[in-house]
Amino acid sequence: MTTPPARWVSTSLIPLLAVLAWGAAPGEPQGKLEVYPAQIRLAGRDASAQVLVTLVRPDGSREDLTHQARFVPDRAGLVSLRGEGRFFPAGDGAGSVRVEAGGLAASIPVQVVDGAKAAPVSFTHQVVPVLTRFGCNSGGCHGKQSGQNGFRLSLLGFDPELDYLTLVQEHRGRRVCVDAPEKSPLVLKATGLAAHGGGRKIEPGSDEHNLLLRWIAGGAKAPSATEASLTRLEVVPPGNTLGKDSRQQVVALAHYADGRVEDVTRMAQYESNDPNVAGVDAQGVVRPGGGTGEAAIMVRFSGRVEVFRARVPLGFKSGDSFVANTPIDRAVHSRWKELGVQPSPRASDEVFIRRLFLDLTGTLPTPDEVTSFAADKNPKKDERWADELLSRPEYAYYFAGKWADILRVKRGNQAERAFGTFAFHRWLFEAIRDDMPYDRMTREILLATGDEERSPATVWYKDLATPDLMVDNMAQVFMGTRMQCAQCHHHPYERWSQDDYWGLAAFFGRLGRKNVPAVTRSALQQNNNQRSFYYNRPTGTVLNKRDNKPIQPTPLDGKPLMPGAEEDPRVLLADWLVRANNPFFARAVANRYWAHFFDRGVVEPLDDMRVTNPPSNPALLDALASHVVQDGFSLRSLCRRIVTSAVYRLSSDPVEGNATDRQSFARYYPKRMNAEVLFDAVHQVVGSPASFAGLPADQFAPRRAIMLPDESFSSYFLDVFGRPQRLSPCECERVTEANLAQVLHLLNSEEVQTKIARAGARADLLAKDSRPDAEKVDELFLWAVGHKPADGKRKLALEHLSAAKTPRDKKQAWDNLVWALVNGQEFSWIR
Amino acid sequence: MLTFWGSSTTQGFCDGLGRRDFIRLGALGTGLSLADLLRHQARAADIARANPTGKSRSGKARAAILVYLPGGPSHMDMYDLKPEAPVEYRGEFKPIATNVPGIQISEHFPLQAKMFDKLAVVRSLVAVDEHSDSQVMTGFSEQINRVQEHPSFGSVVSKLRAVQSGSSLAETVPSFVSLRGMSRGTEPGFLGVAHRPFTPNGPGLANLRPAQSNAGANLDARKNLLAGLDDLRRDIDASGTMAGLDTFTAKAFDMVTSGVARDALNLEKESRENRERYKGVESFLTARRLVEAGVNCVTLSIGGWDTHSNNFTTLKRQLPLVDRGIANLVNDLHDRGMADDVAVVMWGEFGRTPKVNGTAGRDHWSPVMSALVAGGGLRMGQAVGSSSSLGERPKDRPYRPSNLLATLYNAMGIDPAMTFANGSGRPVHLLEDRNLVTELS
Repeated sequence: MTTPPARWVSTSLIPLLAVLAWGAAPGEPQGKLEVYPAQIRLAGRDASAQVLVTLVRPDGSREDLTHQARFVPDRAGLVSLRGEGRFFPAGDGAGSVRVEAGGLAASIPVQVVDGAKAAPVSFTHQVVPVLTRFGCNSGGCHGKQSGQNGFRLSLLGFDPELDYLTLVQEHRGRRVCVDAPEKSPLVLKATGLAAHGGGRKIEPGSDEHNLLLRWIAGGAKAPSATEASLTRLEVVPPGNTLGKDSRQQVVALAHYADGRVEDVTRMAQYESNDPNVAGVDAQGVVRPGGGTGEAAIMVRFSGRVEVFRARVPLGFKSGDSFVANTPIDRAVHSRWKELGVQPSPRASDEVFIRRLFLDLTGTLPTPDEVTSFAADKNPKKDERWADELLSRPEYAYYFAGKWADILRVKRGNQAERAFGTFAFHRWLFEAIRDDMPYDRMTREILLATGDEERSPATVWYKDLATPDLMVDNMAQVFMGTRMQCAQCHHHPYERWSQDDYWGLAAFFGRLGRKNVPAVTRSALQQNNNQRSFYYNRPTGTVLNKRDNKPIQPTPLDGKPLMPGAEEDPRVLLADWLVRANNPFFARAVANRYWAHFFDRGVVEPLDDMRVTNPPSNPALLDALASHVVQDGFSLRSLCRRIVTSAVYRLSSDPVEGNATDRQSFARYYPKRMNAEVLFDAVHQVVGSPASFAGLPADQFAPRRAIMLPDESFSSYFLDVFGRPQRLSPCECERVTEANLAQVLHLLNSEEVQTKIARAGARADLLAKDSRPDAEKVDELFLWAVGHKPADGKRKLALEHLSAAKTPRDKKQAWDNLVWALVNGQEFSWIR
Repeated sequence: MLTFWGSSTTQGFCDGLGRRDFIRLGALGTGLSLADLLRHQARAADIARANPTGKSRSGKARAAILVYLPGGPSHMDMYDLKPEAPVEYRGEFKPIATNVPGIQISEHFPLQAKMFDKLAVVRSLVAVDEHSDSQVMTGFSEQINRVQEHPSFGSVVSKLRAVQSGSSLAETVPSFVSLRGMSRGTEPGFLGVAHRPFTPNGPGLANLRPAQSNAGANLDARKNLLAGLDDLRRDIDASGTMAGLDTFTAKAFDMVTSGVARDALNLEKESRENRERYKGVESFLTARRLVEAGVNCVTLSIGGWDTHSNNFTTLKRQLPLVDRGIANLVNDLHDRGMADDVAVVMWGEFGRTPKVNGTAGRDHWSPVMSALVAGGGLRMGQAVGSSSSLGERPKDRPYRPSNLLATLYNAMGIDPAMTFANGSGRPVHLLEDRNLVTELS
């Protein structure tokens, strides 16, 4: 074999576009044809080039015509064409290819060098990508931790060196036979020529089959230390807008450290994060999926991921009457224009004030509050009422509960832990009430030292026994990022490696914990009653699970940091995390709060921000995050910014122009009340008090579920409606979905029936009230659904009441009305 | 333990619920067109035609009972003993002959041994190493389901069979009941919350009886009032939750008033002798009563099988219980002429290491496991596939759990290749790997 100058390949890709022809004929679509790349240059027999043929219309819109294009080489034997616009070398020389599409034509130069020459095969950049593309090293197969039938590859090929050892050396090297490559079990099984549990993955005779044979025949060479590493994966184009019947071929380019750029379209792997909006096939062709919005198409090659962003518009003219007041409004509004989505009209005052109360305070408005808001003529009344609600204790309780869920303020039914959970919940309540800046709040939790009495935030560490749990929780809560995958292998959908993961874990390496028995009344209790005391040890390291060696504390995308002697490395972590330009911190909380109000994050799931799951509206997330920073990390301001936006003021009723919209916030997406809010609302409307076992029964005891400090207050009601057990840092643990048991409980439980029918409850008081029935019915509706009934409904209610003759029947009729209202869907939904 | 509202107790069978009543075919599941239904029937007929021996009665089952053994039951000590293997593999238990020549099972399964002509075992299932019921209930691993949300077998059955036009009976019992609470594998996933199983326990169970303090209320009046007052437009919710709630409300009224579900859950309605037979394994009896009352899918679990240590001590305690539960259940179904109507399967998430470890335990072993199958018109009295001499991996006929699920779907006349739209409207097959276990069907 000759010495290879540049190891193989290279379609040299001049990042210019060959602008080729202008549509001329009258009546034909105006526009020009663009062909990418400007020149096809194929070096070596493994090279290939995917050509893109694009119609650029005068309005700037771009349509991919590659699949319709006709390609005519000016001479035979130079290149061969396979599939749609994919060129392979056939013989050396130079020439050109004429491209015809959409009534336009163009021509691009072609050059082929060493077209027949097979350079040595790169294990890392050729063999492993084959194993990845065909799913051999996927998590469902040989890529899983335990391997498959005794053969284990690194997940998605993130560890080529390990894969090399496995393939070539494990089991005495019987997986490959250098002397008879075609007899190698690796090849026989992959092509289904020998029995293989996974069946035939690679077609016999295909390029990939030949590549594996050539690698083995060439001596099954190991990954080379001198081989240029992959520095970047590029996707061309980075995004496009797709019409209903259009499609887009994407091109994947690998950039290597030595400057080489290679077309790897046919070796890459493709996956959509939302096939409803746009799907992708194995050739890298993206097609609309029927829905509206934006999908991220992940392209993976050799351990790198990148995305193509596919926008599929609905095509309505949007937003004539919408007035964008704030950066939030403008970001959302321009998205609607891009997608041709129409916003719903403004919500009525009655609907809005109920929504505002429930979203900010978890509490229903009273009839007086509803009517006085509707009567308020102040043009700034939305802002005024938002401020009012944000200063109520209910706001602080409601959001403290939200944070307590993900900070896992849980007792696990161990009575002795109540001191800590109560203290930490109180601490969170005060932080929200006093609007402690979120960066400070985060610092105080991360850096908590001491015991739960003096430092309630240490309770966060109580369930996090090891540094890996601390990383998982810290990343998900404060960075909106799920790092856990990278604990045992390279993150399959992110750039994070095990080194990144354990580099974060190392910040917790000096955290010490001592369990101190507390003094109690009886010796019996003493064993259980242990307080944990957290402190900084002078030294301490964490071992990287990849190589079992100590690792330096290293922030993501950063350099290792050296804590000084006796310095707490967590301080360095907090310094990095909460600073204004941290790429995760402000965005994560902005997204979390947006999702609180709109029932969907700009990134969804709200705590799964990653390259391959980008925001549905990046400008919106940027606007929210810069508000967070500009407002000095005030969470109250963040709430205020969101609820006073014109977007939040929209009705939840869909209109034709947004009926299929699920991600551009063209209306308020309604949600069911969560367990605690529903519990409180039921009690408020039926007019009966709630009480919880295990709390003092005095006048100061919490009477509301949103005030409960931890999860260990037994209540079938709260459990069945999805109260989380605080087992994870994920908001998804709170299930807001419906089930039959919930319906049965509201419809027919002793608990709810007793509270409706109790003497002194609302139904009883209304029955005894001497006002006219119509007035009382209106008031009851205001309590339950926040507005007076329509005439038909009022009539139905009055007929029901007037059919009752005796006082006992009257009371029963009021019971029935209250019952019907709290069982109606309008009551339990926030809309 | 399920015992019920003190007002016992008419002994004997709750009668009047003959098997022919409990589900009538010709019903349309929610969201299914008539054409869809006919396609299922045609598909079942194709299978019958393609089967020259004509022995299969597959495709007509009306219900399924899915017994889940959480933790990974030891195949080597239950249905796939290796008496010839070295002692550190074969363990402490000895095989015994069954009434089917050539098939042996554990000595702790004497009841099943006497009736193995009514049972079948698959010994060559390849699982994944995951502590989750996801794979055996949905056909997909939990890892996949975290993203893809494939529905539970029971939820699919519920979706297809819940609304039985012309049968008021079926509306008074839930389609899918879990006697083991909720888990990943019992979730309806993208089929929507309307197809969650009903889980009868605690106050949820009490709620099936009209509330005492509600005694004066006329339920019909309330129902009318609710219908008249609750007219919020339902299209504001794109998630399907509102529609699900409406379904639940209709069903909840029926459940409270008819009492059928309540009675089915009330074991006091069984004879003392029957309750004695199921002592300690009452959930098997409850499952039988539920399918008799018209429930289409019941799942239950028994024991803890993650026997990393003291495998044999644990199994000596658990195997006799399992033996009694499954043998009584299957015999009862036969006695009632329901054997072909009800498919039963019993399995866990994986097998256990063929080699016994240092603490007399066996660890996780996903390369091979066994599953027990009964009824549903499937071919009984056989052992399908086998494992290697040390019980390490399939020797022949390797199958995946999804193949057995496909076989169960097929037994119920459900085409495992049919699709439902997922949360984003994309059609998704019930199962990806849906080849049947041909020996059974």
